[in-house]
Amino acid sequence: MALDKLTGENSMLFIRSEQLFDFARKNSLWYIAFGIACCAIEGLMSASGPRFDFDRMGVFFRNSPRQADVMIVAGTVNKKMAETVKRLYDQMPEPKWVVAMGACASTGGPFREYPNVVLGVDKIIPVDVYIPGCPPRPESVQYAFIELQKKIARRTEERLAARNS
Amino acid sequence: MRPEIADIERSLAGLFEAQVTGELLGVVARVSLADVAGALEALKAAGYETLIDFDGTDTGELIELTYRLRSYALDLEVWVKAPVAYGGTIESMWYEYPSALMPERETAELLGVHLAGHPNPKRLLTTDGVEPLLRKSVAIRTVEEVRDR
Amino acid sequence: MTDHCDDTLGVGLLCEGQHEPGTPPAGLRRAPSGVDGLTTEHLIINMGPQHPSTHGVLRMIIEVDGEEVVAAEVSVGYLHRGIEKLAEHRRYDAVGTLMDRGDYVSGIMGELAFALATEQLMEIEVPRKAHWLRSLTSELNRLASHLVWYGTFGLDTGAMGQFLYAMREREALLDILEAISGQRMMFNYVRPGGVVADLPVGVEEKIRAFLGTFPMYLDEYDQLLGGNEIFQARVKGIGVIDRDMALAFGLTGANLRASGVDFDIRKARPYAAYPELDFDVPLGAKGDAWDRYTVRMGEMAQSARMIGQLIDGMPEGEHTAKVPRIIRPAAGESYASVESSRGETAVHLVSDGTEHPYRMHYRGPSLYAVQALEELLPGHLLGDVVMLIGSTDVMLGEIDR
Repeated sequence: MALDKLTGENSMLFIRSEQLFDFARKNSLWYIAFGIACCAIEGLMSASGPRFDFDRMGVFFRNSPRQADVMIVAGTVNKKMAETVKRLYDQMPEPKWVVAMGACASTGGPFREYPNVVLGVDKIIPVDVYIPGCPPRPESVQYAFIELQKKIARRTEERLAARNS
Repeated sequence: MRPEIADIERSLAGLFEAQVTGELLGVVARVSLADVAGALEALKAAGYETLIDFDGTDTGELIELTYRLRSYALDLEVWVKAPVAYGGTIESMWYEYPSALMPERETAELLGVHLAGHPNPKRLLTTDGVEPLLRKSVAIRTVEEVRDR
Repeated sequence: MTDHCDDTLGVGLLCEGQHEPGTPPAGLRRAPSGVDGLTTEHLIINMGPQHPSTHGVLRMIIEVDGEEVVAAEVSVGYLHRGIEKLAEHRRYDAVGTLMDRGDYVSGIMGELAFALATEQLMEIEVPRKAHWLRSLTSELNRLASHLVWYGTFGLDTGAMGQFLYAMREREALLDILEAISGQRMMFNYVRPGGVVADLPVGVEEKIRAFLGTFPMYLDEYDQLLGGNEIFQARVKGIGVIDRDMALAFGLTGANLRASGVDFDIRKARPYAAYPELDFDVPLGAKGDAWDRYTVRMGEMAQSARMIGQLIDGMPEGEHTAKVPRIIRPAAGESYASVESSRGETAVHLVSDGTEHPYRMHYRGPSLYAVQALEELLPGHLLGDVVMLIGSTDVMLGEIDR
């Protein structure tokens, strides 16, 4: 319909306005203050510290999942924690992204053999960026955020490609 | 540091089957499961005010409980060990030593024994349905299981 | 209207229809009682595993009556990853990686407890230089851990600026530890028999440069947080753990010393280089949160003093004894305690003579602190709960293991 052609998903109006919003989103990615284990000290606390300043990238922590864009899963997820992780992920509003920080959140890490450990958080929620390391250096976490920013910026090209196809 | 073995034997006099030996670990009093409460009460009266550590070891046939008691006033430490069968029941010592509250729950849950007389005998570390993970009979994941995750 | 509708509140209750005296008028759900006419219920609040107080995934279920905590239950286990079980499947020089991840902020001391427990079963003599290196890295790690405590304790009381100062100091310390061991956090430095590597060239200057400015900064940080009137009002007199309660709950470390019990493993059961070092042990008097604060700030000053002595008197020699490539200690049981930044970290090791430990039990001091919280919290206000958790300095890695 005429209005759909003007403002629907494949319209240039929508794509270009989303491009503007994505520019705003990627430069102010707020993560939920959710540190499970050791990676939290490096990736959340040290990375927000004065040396590896996260704030210059616009990244800041929010206490409530309802106000956050990104969930950095920093630590080992076990069966007791899995329900909480899923619930927090569901409480985050769209658009949301997940960064699996460290070996434990990616694939189970040094504790992969223990039956109580979930082999990676991507068994529970979809992950956008994986960071290897145990723990990853704060610069790695910032690099992961830069990759996430690039991923967000690529959404415009994907929408343009979907429109043209 | 280490108390005299004779002193500990005197404190535990009246408890049959209490064997007190001096080992690398320290001065260890081995009692039967039924005498644990009596032994700990006697040692508390002898001046060992704190329970510093409590754990269980799966020896393959039974579970060996280890209590570590310390007296700050006398600067002495003593160990009490007791065997319990798989699926047996341990009496909670929380009324004498409140520091046993959570370690007892953890040992009962991870080694598969029951806990009696505890104000809050719920599981501590794992969710319902998880088997006693510290038992030797419970295996860890194999390389293949991890690779096929 | 006014003969059966009791408007003691003076808020203009609308009461219609007849009712029995003594029963609530229609329109009111509950009967007013007492002087102010309000009935209250106890509310059960879940301070879930995700909360801004970054002590880890601690869950507390708190029953409150208005603002006052009536009962509290601690629910742990959200980080239970099997350090004790996995140690039964690792070689002795690899168990240090698991101990690193227990109390993850003070990894050196966890590794040291396990190394000491293993060495009791092995027939080796650890060289003097290894003892001094172990003490040096332990004290550096203690400073780093107390700085994390200082930063987050301020956050728990609402202060946010000192967290960044603490992180800045911590970066200097982590630089030094990274130069020594190769890693910022999971050092894997202390192994049975000694340590992995000697001090590299240039790290002594780094340590001296750090020590040159740290005492002045420590005073500044003490004034920044401890000199703040609001912080003092929030912390002084709150959360008193008296001597009997501290002993009953098996508290150790700064929590115990704040209650007046003079027991420091470094003095009472000396290990590594501590018999040769000169340091004081700060004590508290009342056992409130202010005492726990001053005791830990005092410990930071003493650690800086010890690091100076360790660097000045570092002996020559080997950094490790000759240990076989695969360590097989004698069969038996051993137990070793160290004074970690949170209390007495201890390892109960049962060996059967093979290359894997038969059973390793890891005593984490925070487990005893967190069960004391269940007894401590009732009677305090809801706003004090987060502050009290921070004052006892719990770390979930060593509770859940």
